[in-house]
Amino acid sequence: MSTVIDEGAVPTGASGAPTPTTLPRTWTLTWHGVRTVAELELRQRVRSTRWIVALVVWFVVVGAITGLVWLSTRSLLTGAAGDTANRLLRGPMVFGLVVFFVLFLGLLVAPTLSATSINGDRAAGTLAILQVTLLSPFEIVLGKLLASWAAALAFLVVSVPFIAIALGAGGTPVLAMFVCLGVLALLLAAVCAIGLGFSALVARTSGSAVLTYIVVASLSALSPIVFGLTYLTTTHNETVRVWTIPGGAWNGDTAPDCVWENAVGPVTHTERTWWLLGINPFVIVADAAPQPDARNPRITGDPLGSIRTGVRTLRAGPATTVDECWSGQSIQGSHYVSPVAERNVDTSAVWPWGLAANLLLGAAGVWVAVRRLRIPQRTLARGTRVA
Amino acid sequence: MTDGAGQDVPTDAHDGIAVRGLHRSFGAVHALAGVDLDARPGRVTALIGPNGSGKTTLLLVLAGLLVPDAGHVRVGGFDPGTDGARARARTGWMPDAFGTWDSLTAREVLLTFAAAYRLPRAGAEARVAELLKTVHLSELADRPASVLSRGQKQRLGLARALVHSPDVLLLDEPASGLDPRSRVDLRVLLRSLAARGTTVLVSSHVLSELDELVDDAVFLSGGRTVTAGTLVAAESARRSWRVRALSLATLTGWLTSVGAVWHPDADDIPAPTGFGPPRPVPDRPGGVLVDIADEEGAARLVRDAVTAGVALTSIAPAGGALEQAYLALDEERR
Repeated sequence: MSTVIDEGAVPTGASGAPTPTTLPRTWTLTWHGVRTVAELELRQRVRSTRWIVALVVWFVVVGAITGLVWLSTRSLLTGAAGDTANRLLRGPMVFGLVVFFVLFLGLLVAPTLSATSINGDRAAGTLAILQVTLLSPFEIVLGKLLASWAAALAFLVVSVPFIAIALGAGGTPVLAMFVCLGVLALLLAAVCAIGLGFSALVARTSGSAVLTYIVVASLSALSPIVFGLTYLTTTHNETVRVWTIPGGAWNGDTAPDCVWENAVGPVTHTERTWWLLGINPFVIVADAAPQPDARNPRITGDPLGSIRTGVRTLRAGPATTVDECWSGQSIQGSHYVSPVAERNVDTSAVWPWGLAANLLLGAAGVWVAVRRLRIPQRTLARGTRVA
Repeated sequence: MTDGAGQDVPTDAHDGIAVRGLHRSFGAVHALAGVDLDARPGRVTALIGPNGSGKTTLLLVLAGLLVPDAGHVRVGGFDPGTDGARARARTGWMPDAFGTWDSLTAREVLLTFAAAYRLPRAGAEARVAELLKTVHLSELADRPASVLSRGQKQRLGLARALVHSPDVLLLDEPASGLDPRSRVDLRVLLRSLAARGTTVLVSSHVLSELDELVDDAVFLSGGRTVTAGTLVAAESARRSWRVRALSLATLTGWLTSVGAVWHPDADDIPAPTGFGPPRPVPDRPGGVLVDIADEEGAARLVRDAVTAGVALTSIAPAGGALEQAYLALDEERR
């Protein structure tokens, strides 16, 4: 093919460009390719001043909320029993609320970082010229995901001082901070990936942003609502074995002789619907956070702990035998022995399933984006140009 | 030249661009409805056609972005549809509308694309510096792309298409937005690339620029390449020549007397036929357009005019050959 080449220091013209040893296919993945795209995206993003403004605003808002939580819990718990108990009550509450607020803001910001990434580039005319290079679609998508995730992590890093301050309120193990930050980071990665999928699927940037927000809202707000609505549909009248006072008649003085009876009453099978709560990002974070104090498991001021206990109990579903011999319990005290077996609620973690479900959605987003970035294209979205 | 879709590799196979019977529709719109094209290595080929004739769609297929519905395509010896990566590794493509990353400098943009084409980092730095010099952006190399003018961005886009030293160069309207100096530079650059064996395909509306640049021309109209026969006919059609003389009155008088068909070249000269009383032709230097069949006819006109005592000052084809051929195309504009 080539004719005479006047060679400079570098190969030019039809010298037969050095054919790369690895030609990319759709799912080819090299760190070099991912890094090239991620660097491009981050350079473009970081140098805009909007970025700094956003981080400062984030810092101020999270700081203000932390301060408010700090002050309000102090006035709320003033006068409660001893200082230690106070600390045990207040620390986990502050920590839980601050972590939830950071997650809330993160779920608001993460979609904006990725949901316009691909269709925005297409509109700006910078996507096709990248597609015709020897970068594989998978590398382009992962590079964009890495860049948007790194941006989301920057927001998380800015929040670390306040989470550390919340930790300083006491009662929460240091490990909880690292676990929560880790789970937050993975959840934000999943949201970024979902946004990326929509940005490849929808031609207009506003459309993909809205769809991403709908998914995030479904996971975090709609899922508890649906759980509440299904609560009644999973409630049926069933026969339950009850350890109770015969005939319900008790003279009120001596310990009653309780017997087994079959009673018909409403039973709610939350073991069929608990997963609606399990996929909720807030539940995932709460369930993953370590127990504040193993010696004192009944701390009521811990929002994370309450959610953790609640969702695990709901997963177990209704008990098949119920002890209603309360008067015997109250009179005999510690001498009372109930024949109803101590309920052995499954305390295994819920969060790995929820996190996996979220990451699976993210993986679906990546898969869709890669499929849509394959070239040559057969079909074009309505009203779009390739370049 | 073979015709029809799905045929085998043409017998005159080359490593440039070979297209046979290419079809591509978008819904009911037949953007490409039978394109045959050959752009050979070492030659600059012009892709000419009115708006909506399918030029950009054709370039998208050649760049490996669109699957054709039917037809046979080879770019740099490979099919961009089935052997996309191999074809793309040899192809440089500059779209008509493309964006830049506003926050990146020109040098960073080119280094990014060198990395995207998997050039070794060591060679990339030198290659990028050389390209920046070639497109006269060395002084602006480390300024963000947002400060570049439209023409400078266009030059950066050209450098970007060249970063991996492609064998085949696809340029969609490369001259738009360029100042005259840059157009000359572009012409020199493309000629030197062709001299080194690169296949260059240029689509453009600036036909006068193409005249001095291209070796071959392909006319596209309504998604079809206009057949060679039509092209020959277009080229041999009567052309307009611009004839100037010291006295416009003497010139027009003589032209009318010998029966030549001429048209006024400016508003202040009356047409030879028209409504109302003819205004007097001013007796001052000026020119008219004359229909002349070929170069021999032009030579005869010069000889006869001089013999008749008309003081000619210049005679030249009005508009380039490509423009004449383009305008002679009897296809409707979409």
